[in-house]
Amino acid sequence: MSVLHRETRHMLFTVAPGALCIFVFLVLPSVYLVGMAFLTNGPYGLPTLPLSLQSFRELAGFGFLGWSPGNLYTLIRSVWQTLLATALVILLAYPAAYYISTRPARWRPLMLLVIVVPSWTNQVIRSVGWMNIFAPGTPVSDFAALLGLTAPQMGLFPSQFAVIVGLVYNFLPFMVLPLYAAFERLDTEQVEAAKDLFASPMAVFRHAVFPQTLPGLMAGTVLVAIPAFGMYVVTELLGGGKATMIGNLVARQFAQASNWPLGAAGAIIMIAVTLIGLKVLRDLGRRLSGDREVVL
Amino acid sequence: MRSVRLDYALRVFWGLLLVFLYAPLAVVVFFSFNSINSSARFAGFSLQWYERLFRNEAIVSALMNTVVLALASTLIAVVIGGLLGYGFYRYRLGRLSWLVWLIYLPVIMPDIVFGIAEMTFFVAINERLGILSPGLGTMVIAHVTFQVPFVALLVNARLLSLDPQLFEACHDLYAAPWQRARFFLLPVLRPAILSSFLLALTLSIDDFVISFFTAGPQSTTLPIYIWSAIKKGVTPEVNAIATLMIGSVLLVALFSLLAQHGSSGGKQSKGGTKA
Repeated sequence: MSVLHRETRHMLFTVAPGALCIFVFLVLPSVYLVGMAFLTNGPYGLPTLPLSLQSFRELAGFGFLGWSPGNLYTLIRSVWQTLLATALVILLAYPAAYYISTRPARWRPLMLLVIVVPSWTNQVIRSVGWMNIFAPGTPVSDFAALLGLTAPQMGLFPSQFAVIVGLVYNFLPFMVLPLYAAFERLDTEQVEAAKDLFASPMAVFRHAVFPQTLPGLMAGTVLVAIPAFGMYVVTELLGGGKATMIGNLVARQFAQASNWPLGAAGAIIMIAVTLIGLKVLRDLGRRLSGDREVVL
Repeated sequence: MRSVRLDYALRVFWGLLLVFLYAPLAVVVFFSFNSINSSARFAGFSLQWYERLFRNEAIVSALMNTVVLALASTLIAVVIGGLLGYGFYRYRLGRLSWLVWLIYLPVIMPDIVFGIAEMTFFVAINERLGILSPGLGTMVIAHVTFQVPFVALLVNARLLSLDPQLFEACHDLYAAPWQRARFFLLPVLRPAILSSFLLALTLSIDDFVISFFTAGPQSTTLPIYIWSAIKKGVTPEVNAIATLMIGSVLLVALFSLLAQHGSSGGKQSKGGTKA
């Protein structure tokens, strides 16, 4: 009896503060936010009764003037920009992680640190850096104008290009680290065997390297794609109105537009898409690994 | 033959990658010393933006808020999250297996949704009860809430990597709970606690969105100050502020490198005496 009592006390002491913190300050607010989506937008942009699905209709594009596809485009653009940025991150992170894993062991921690340090500065500051580089009249912008990519005296931002660069820059470390961990554990005998069998470099990669690094790739994809989909800062600073993502759409309802129920409905869509994305990645991981192991 | 060429290509790639990673930071630092307000033309060296910055009371108080927020939230999160990580390890297979959902919720939630949920919640509570008015307090609460799971997961991962028999050994030696904590858990968890401290600090410093939505008029932090300066179109001191933040991050990086060296050298001797 007293043993049970002691265990309960111990459980309360260790688990309760953290669990309560997350429950009170995240679970309850989330429930409140979800509920808000089913209320009506009041006169001051604050939610009021009666319950309705008005915010979801508005989000789908039905307004006073009939249907408009703006919000739908924003959602599609969010998914597209997330996919593009994630693909570019993978293309950069694979050679980087491989290169680090082939260097002498004492250099590797330093090389990883070099990859990670930029992400320790604040997101806003990283975007300010790119704003400096892409401003009108800088060498980079002039070069782009020379190639005819932009009009002369125009900067490279705000633009979708700048947003993609910003996204890749922000999330690269999250892919390099798990991929590096996978490369470090790589069974090189498999690679040697493939080479001995005169496999082409592509075949070596596909059959010997890729399956072994797949868990790292999947973990990295989750770490990159999920926050990229919810991005607010980069799109706001580097994209202007040209590359808005759903995070900006949601935030606007709470800041300028003052339509809290609409914003809450947008937040629900964001969470739903995130969960669907996780499910898709999980299935993809299973298929790529040939059902041998659960990757996620 | 091919591998030599591949190695060469990888070296070039690595060099370009470093340029990509550090060019934005270098440009900010470089133009913070510009005598004119431009990021296209360097007209001469000057410290005028730094002078302005330290004479601007709003920036100095934003600096204080940033430091207080990062340190306070990190310290609280390491304690609460460390306990949670240990509790989760102990009871994960029993009555508290549902904890995993609670711990992962803040990790997968997009930070814009996180920030908005907190803001609307704080506003609602404040209207009814008069507490939790937006300010440093609400910001610390919000930061702790997103830091706690990361600390808990790191501590839990470290405990999972240990031999479970060590815990039985403690029990067999009749170690009292405080003795177990003092002579077994704390030494064994030291690296995990140190790295979770650094991670939590990084998360807090890197965050803008959640701070932005939970801040009050008196609790502007440096990133929020920079943000509103950009939005208002007033940007001269922005590069100087950003340079100070980049400088402090490089200091932390240096410190963590030294700490890594220190702990990898000291680990053996520690293991020897405690075992």
